[in-house]
Amino acid sequence: MSGSVAQEPAIELRSLRKTYRKGKKTTVAVDGLDLVVPRGRVFGLLGPNGAGKTTTVEVCEGLTVPDSGSVRVLGRQWGTGNDQEIRERIGVCLQETKFHEKATVRETLELFATFYGNGRPVDEVLALVSLQEKADARESTLSGGQRQRLSVATALLGKPEMLFLDEPTTGLDPQSRRQLWEVVRSFRAGGGTIVLTTHYMDEAHQLCDQVAIIDHGKVIAEGTPAELIRSLGAEHFLEVDVDTFADKVRPADLRALPGARACEMTAVRAVLTVDSVHVVLPALQHLLSSRQVAIVGLATRDATLEDVFVHLTGRHLREDGKP
Amino acid sequence: MRPHVAMAVARTTFREFWRSPEAVFWTYGFPLIMAIVLGFAFRPGELPPVPVVVVEGEQAESYADSLRQHPRLKVEVLPEALGDRALARGHTALLLKVKDGKPVLRADPTRPEAEVARLLVERVLRDRDNGPGPQIASEVEARPGARYIDFLIPGLLGLNLLGAGMWGVGFNLVQMRTQHLLRRLFVTPMRRSEFLVGYLLGRFVLVVPESAAIVLFGYVLWGVPLRGSIAAMTVLVVVGGLAFSGLGCLLATRPRTIEGIAGLMNAFQLPMWLLGGTFFSNEKLEGIVRWAAEAMPLTHLNRGLRDLMLEPGGWSDVTWPLIGLSGFACACFLLALRLFRWT
Repeated sequence: MSGSVAQEPAIELRSLRKTYRKGKKTTVAVDGLDLVVPRGRVFGLLGPNGAGKTTTVEVCEGLTVPDSGSVRVLGRQWGTGNDQEIRERIGVCLQETKFHEKATVRETLELFATFYGNGRPVDEVLALVSLQEKADARESTLSGGQRQRLSVATALLGKPEMLFLDEPTTGLDPQSRRQLWEVVRSFRAGGGTIVLTTHYMDEAHQLCDQVAIIDHGKVIAEGTPAELIRSLGAEHFLEVDVDTFADKVRPADLRALPGARACEMTAVRAVLTVDSVHVVLPALQHLLSSRQVAIVGLATRDATLEDVFVHLTGRHLREDGKP
Repeated sequence: MRPHVAMAVARTTFREFWRSPEAVFWTYGFPLIMAIVLGFAFRPGELPPVPVVVVEGEQAESYADSLRQHPRLKVEVLPEALGDRALARGHTALLLKVKDGKPVLRADPTRPEAEVARLLVERVLRDRDNGPGPQIASEVEARPGARYIDFLIPGLLGLNLLGAGMWGVGFNLVQMRTQHLLRRLFVTPMRRSEFLVGYLLGRFVLVVPESAAIVLFGYVLWGVPLRGSIAAMTVLVVVGGLAFSGLGCLLATRPRTIEGIAGLMNAFQLPMWLLGGTFFSNEKLEGIVRWAAEAMPLTHLNRGLRDLMLEPGGWSDVTWPLIGLSGFACACFLLALRLFRWT
């Protein structure tokens, strides 16, 4: 490997475009996307379902051929005689894979191990994903979390430089999610690059060094989670439920409170974006009490990447609106 | 191609198949049972009686009595409406009605049993009018190698290779595609050829033992012979199986649903079932149907199997079937490699 190639980013996408045609209907999945993923980082691709995350990742994995644009993965391009080399150097965990259901965990890993010239021993990978006790269990008897860890284990077998994890924790219980997070952290600690797609904001916040928010096939924001949240202008939210604001309190009154940056309001609820909760709260209580508005409920929370997405698009990342 | 990768794929494929008792039964057990059941159904023995109906009326009983003298005829006297109904439903092969004092035979000549019935009835009527004709001695063909069962067993062997090759390979491949396992394999450094060769080996390993079992059952139960070269027979079974596996592989290169592959398989399999020379000789067919039959790999496989089982055939007798089937298998595999879709 030449020195210049080694210093290239893990992934470099320029003006990437991919459309799908079904009958007369054409869907634009990726629409002129530019992205650079540095080496040695956990890079999160965030976006709602259908935003183009999976298509982008599949183009990087060599599974999908783009209509136009340039794709460089670990300094190489797909379709230029380097495909085998790229596949040797990456590990992939697809969004959904059903392995041979009658094969045991060990048998599945042994099969995948034969594909790589210089892979890790199966027992080492079993330990990495904490599946030693399930080594002789058939795939059909595994829980969702164990299946997902098996999928990650197959991705780790070839000692990859870069891991692609496409929504690896979707549908998993909290304990299984944390176990997978540990695998990601340990891979990152070993100097590996990870490209992670998720629509769990806490996951992106916990794991990612850098995040790109994708919507309608384009990157609409990029940076570290902290930078993106700071771009909102405030880092906390104060949510207050009342009997009724009626005409007694108006949005301008709430925005005028010391430390308040913005306010969204209905007849019985207001959400204030604030710099410092301890400054706004006493002033808010005083205002409502003086206007004879009774507080029914009060809550504060830190701003999240979900708020960034809502701020940028006016929509929630997940259809159910839950962060 | 790295042989150890192909062998690993073959091991996994075979293990997955072997650990699924249902799949093993329907791919290998069921055809064996079918061969035995059909073998018993068509085993050598007494021929079934030929049913004929005499329409009620003048002289009906007299004609019925004459016909009853023939041991192969099963005679019934019915009113005309019921007789017509029996003929329409296939309950009788022929209707005899006396019109103006003369017997009139009515039957659909395209039904094979109708022709048999007509010949038997005409013989009885000739004897009745002119006195007994010359008695011709007849013998039942019971020599091994010349009976219908001897014709049938090699055909069933060919049919089994067709089913095991096409369904065993093609169906499972599409299932792996629908479950995204093929996509997952695609993003590894495993090569397409390593996968296809290993996969075929894994699915194919039981074909030869099962064919041997069918031949053995045929020999033990009905004395169906294996007179030709066993080595040539083994190679023909392997090449025939590979030809149909190749076809299964080719058909499975594109479909993304189980329904899609099932439809495609049936479209290719059904004509071969009907015209491939398994249940009756397709050499008496004519015109475009004959051409179609000659284009089918099953026709040539069955012909080769019969040459080796029923006659003391050797390599030279199956040279052309072997060349044709090998060429067909190679063409299918090469096309499959080119067209194969992982996603």
